Amino acid sequence: MKMEGFDHGTRGIGVRDYQLILPSVVCSTHISRRIAKDVNAVTFSHQHGCGIIGADVAGIGDFFASLADHPNVSSVLVVSLGCETIQGQELAEKLVTKNASTKYQIIQDSGGVEATVTAGITAVRSLQESYPTKRRPLNDLRVGISASSNSSIANNLLEALSALDIYTELVGGKSPADSFSHLMEKKVHLILSFPTGDQPASGFPLIPVINIASDSALHQAISADFDVPAGTPVENIVKLILEVANGRETIAEINKSGEILAPRLVRST
Amino acid sequence: MNISPLKAYLRPNGSWGLRNHVLVLPLHSALSSSARAIEEASQGAVAITHDWSGEIDADLERIISTLAGFASNPNNFATIFLTLDSPNERRIIERAESLGLPNVVHLSLADAGSMHKLVDVGILEADQLLTRALLQERIPAPWSAIVLGLECGGSDALSGITANPALGVASDMLVDLGATSILGETTEILGAEHLLAARAITPEVGVEIVNTVLRYESSINYEGIDLRGAQPSRGNIEGGLSTLEEKSLGAAKKAGNAVFTGVLEYAEVPSAHGLFFMDTPGHDIEQLTGFAAGHVNIVVFTSGRGTPTGSATMPVIKVATNTPMATSLKDLIDLNAGTIADGIESLSEVGNRIFNEIVAVANGKETKAERGGHHEFSLSRLYN
Repeated sequence: MKMEGFDHGTRGIGVRDYQLILPSVVCSTHISRRIAKDVNAVTFSHQHGCGIIGADVAGIGDFFASLADHPNVSSVLVVSLGCETIQGQELAEKLVTKNASTKYQIIQDSGGVEATVTAGITAVRSLQESYPTKRRPLNDLRVGISASSNSSIANNLLEALSALDIYTELVGGKSPADSFSHLMEKKVHLILSFPTGDQPASGFPLIPVINIASDSALHQAISADFDVPAGTPVENIVKLILEVANGRETIAEINKSGEILAPRLVRST
Repeated sequence: MNISPLKAYLRPNGSWGLRNHVLVLPLHSALSSSARAIEEASQGAVAITHDWSGEIDADLERIISTLAGFASNPNNFATIFLTLDSPNERRIIERAESLGLPNVVHLSLADAGSMHKLVDVGILEADQLLTRALLQERIPAPWSAIVLGLECGGSDALSGITANPALGVASDMLVDLGATSILGETTEILGAEHLLAARAITPEVGVEIVNTVLRYESSINYEGIDLRGAQPSRGNIEGGLSTLEEKSLGAAKKAGNAVFTGVLEYAEVPSAHGLFFMDTPGHDIEQLTGFAAGHVNIVVFTSGRGTPTGSATMPVIKVATNTPMATSLKDLIDLNAGTIADGIESLSEVGNRIFNEIVAVANGKETKAERGGHHEFSLSRLYN
C-alpha cells in the first residue's frame, strides 16, 4: 500500500498535518487553547514550566522541544507567560534553529490576555501562509507500540510490521500516557495501544492512537472506545495501521481524547 | 463595620460558598477531555483536567486529599465525578462527601458505555444541576464565611513594599472580624520563618512553622539540589529581587501582623477561624489547588510581572505591585497597589481598597480571571 504523508521540512514527513500551540508554562495553557480553537490547531494542558528544579529544568525543556520537532507537526507557536523557569522566548529561539516555522508570543509583553490571543492567531495564520501543506510519499513509517513486553499479540504485530520493513518501537511505561510520551520522543508517526484491562482507551494530541481492546469487563463495557476488538487477527490490524497512516481518523482522534504527560523526575518547589 | 455585608450560599455542614459552581471532575487523566467537552457544551459548568491515571504510589494519599478537597470546596454546589469506578476513585468521592459536598453525581465510563456517551450524560446532568443551583439564593452571612487565600507569584522588587503589605492590612482586618486567612508557599517563607514563628499563638505552633520549613528544605536537599540557588527565580531576578531572603520577607507580609492560629498540611481544611499557615509549594497553580482543596473560598493574588491564572472554584483577585504592569496588562489585573510606590495612596488606603474588593467579589462581583475563564489546575506531588 502506497502512503501519502505531509512534508514538514526538517521535521520529516508526517501522517498528520498539525499546527502546535505550545504553552511553555501551565499559566499559558488556557490562552493557548483559545488560540488553538480559533485556528483549528492542536494544543495540550500541562502543569509544568515553573517551580521546577534540578534535572527537570532541562528535561521538561527537552520534552517540549521534542514535541515541537515531531514529524506530524507543520509549525509551532510557543505561548509564554514571560517570568517562567522555562523561558518561552529561549525555548522558541532554540526550536527555530532546528525548524524555521516557529514563532512565539509572550503574554507579559503582549498587553494582556485578549491582545495575546489576537497576536497569537495572527502569528499562526502567517505560519500557515508561509508553510502551506504539501503532500509527499511516505516511505519510512514509524509505528509505536504501547504494551507490556509479554503481550503475545503485540509481539506478533512487531514481527508482522518488521516483515513489511516498518520501523517499530515497543514501550511499556507506568501508564499509557507515560508510554505515549516516550514513543513521541522516538518520533513514531502513530501508536498502537494495548491498555491493561483496568485502563480505558486514550489518545495523544499529536499522534493518532489505535486502541486495541482486551477481553476485560471494562473493555467489553466500553467497546465503542476501541478501534480494534479483542481477538482481531494481526493482518486486519496491519491493514488498519496503513489506513490510519493514510488519514483515517482513530476513535481517540474523533473523541479528541488524551492528555500529554510530561515526565518529571523531581518534586516541584 | 462588625455587621457583615456578606451574602453567600449556606452549605448543609455550615460552611459558606461565595460561588455556586457545578464542577466536572475527572478522576482519571484519560477522562480529562470528556470533562472539558461537558464544560464546553453545558450552560456554565466548570471542569478541571489533570495527569493522574490512578497510579498507586507514594503520592496517592496526597492526590486523594487534593481531589476530594477540591471537589468539596464550599464554592461548589455540586460535583460530577467521571470515573472508571476503581476503589481509589470511590474513596475520593466518599471523602468529598464527608468533607461536606452537598450534591454528588458519579458517572462511570463503563456504565455510560463509551466516552462519547459519558459526555452526553454529563451534559444532561450538568444542566440539571445548574438549574437547581440557580434556585439557591444567597443569604446574609457572617464574616467567618470568608476563608481567604494569600498568594503571590511573579514577584518583583515592589512586592514587599506595595501589594503584599497592603494585602496584609486587608487580611488583618478580616481576621479581626472573625474570618479565616491562609498563608501558603513554604518556599517563599524560607529565611523568614523565625519572624512568623514569633507570632504563633502558642510555642508549639511556632515550632510547627519552623519544622514545616525544615522538612521542606530537607526534602529538596535530599534531591541533591540547593534551593537557595534556584530561588529567587529568573523572573524574580529580572523583577529586581536580590535574594531568597528578600523574596521571603516580602512574601510573608501578605499575612499582615495577626497571630498564627495553626499550621495546615497541604489540602487540609482548617477547623477553626483565624490566620493559618499551609505547607504548599511556591508553584502558583499547585499552591492554588492546595488552597481550594483546603476549602479556601476566595484568593487575593499579588503579582509584579502579571499572570492570567485563575481557579475553577475560587474567585482570584489579582493585585499589581506596580503601575506600569497594571496599566499594560489591564485585562488580567483587578487592582493596582503600585499607587503606594507612586506616592498617591497610603498602605492603609490600598489595604482598604483590597478589603472592599474582597467583599464585593465575595458577594458575586466577577474577577478578571473569572471573566476570562481561566482555571488552570496542577496536582502537587512530592515524589515525582
